[in-house]
Amino acid sequence: MSDYAHPDVLVSTDWVSHHLADTANVRVIESNEDILLYATGHLHNAVHVDWTNDLQDPDVRDYISTKQFERLCSRLGIHEDTTVVFYGDKSNWWACYAFWTFKMFGHKDCRIMDGGRAKWVAEGRVMTTDVPTFESADYDASEPDTSIRAFRDDVMNHMKDGGQMVDVRSPQEYIGEVTHMAGYPQEGALRGGHIPGASNVPWSRAAGEDGTFKSRDELEAIYLEEQGLNPKEDMIAYCRIGERSSHTWFVLKYLLGFENVRNYDGSWTEWGNLVGAPIEKGEPDEN
Amino acid sequence: MTDRLREIIDEFQSAPDEFRVEMLLERARQFPPLPEKYRALREKGLGRVHECMAEVYFFPEVKDGAVRIHSDIPGEAPTQRALVGILMEAYDGASPEAVAQIPPDLLRQLGIAPLLGVQRQQGFSGIVSRLQHSIAEASS
Repeated sequence: MSDYAHPDVLVSTDWVSHHLADTANVRVIESNEDILLYATGHLHNAVHVDWTNDLQDPDVRDYISTKQFERLCSRLGIHEDTTVVFYGDKSNWWACYAFWTFKMFGHKDCRIMDGGRAKWVAEGRVMTTDVPTFESADYDASEPDTSIRAFRDDVMNHMKDGGQMVDVRSPQEYIGEVTHMAGYPQEGALRGGHIPGASNVPWSRAAGEDGTFKSRDELEAIYLEEQGLNPKEDMIAYCRIGERSSHTWFVLKYLLGFENVRNYDGSWTEWGNLVGAPIEKGEPDEN
Repeated sequence: MTDRLREIIDEFQSAPDEFRVEMLLERARQFPPLPEKYRALREKGLGRVHECMAEVYFFPEVKDGAVRIHSDIPGEAPTQRALVGILMEAYDGASPEAVAQIPPDLLRQLGIAPLLGVQRQQGFSGIVSRLQHSIAEASS
């Protein structure tokens, strides 16, 4: 892990197992695709944060307010200086999404447990169904940090400037052929394809078979050499709803040291429905 | 709607909110194993529901106009195990026409739509339409 640009944000299952009892300084958060998974068993002293019920506003398509974030942290016993470690299912998709959301609200010390829940289980480590409770904390959050979040107008301007973007969905979604497949639910987008100028690197290429992140050399071979992306230039990552792209956002920013990466959480379910938004279909070299 | 589905909906509706989660977990735990005869197909990746982020596999049978749904879903996807488990039980022995009429608002009727949120509800409707599609194919 030490080769990464910011190695301190990634912790091992061993590190976590040695810090589970340190609840005064460390809070471990499980975030999953599956809403029931935490209840079937989780790490000792780990709390549950659900991406939809805890982090998103139920009415407006947006995140919770700063006040609600403060209440969430207070309920979970998280102080401004608590080390918060995220892990979850799906090679840490949702852990990265929760990490990104916590960063947006200015939480300083966030980490990801490399390999996520699956690695912990595969190593035969202890799980529990006991739900811990902690003394509520006073938490003073910052206003959301939009330097890591791209809105649609930011993306439009970035596209017009020829800025670098990565579409982390599957090649079929990127090419735009999924809209033509019989019986395929559209999941809320009226048009298929990708934002002009975006390269296609499915998020999963950054993860190994055991769900851990690939080494820095392997990641550089993909993002820098194969795709020709420049860590010094502005970068935007997107997917369908911003979850898979928060995984790639984490990889680019913390493992490869890209200086300015934003996650476009509106992603394809916004762009593919936006009246007048330009769309490219097919492979990039076909256009 | 089948009689069994009506009974399951009644059970969920009469339960308090916090108990519904436990009812789903119980169903996830009791999800039946995939019959041996489908193991090889499953290993080859056949029957996969590609619309779903979880690894959901369907092997539907239609014999003499009666449906039987076999499925394989990993333990890491307890929500899908619970929901598909409800469909397997509710439509066991039903006609393909009955499967084609699975209520589109089933999750709301079960009282669990708010728990799941919009995107997970969409994921489940993808599973239902794939199931309906595969049963229509198996019965034609």
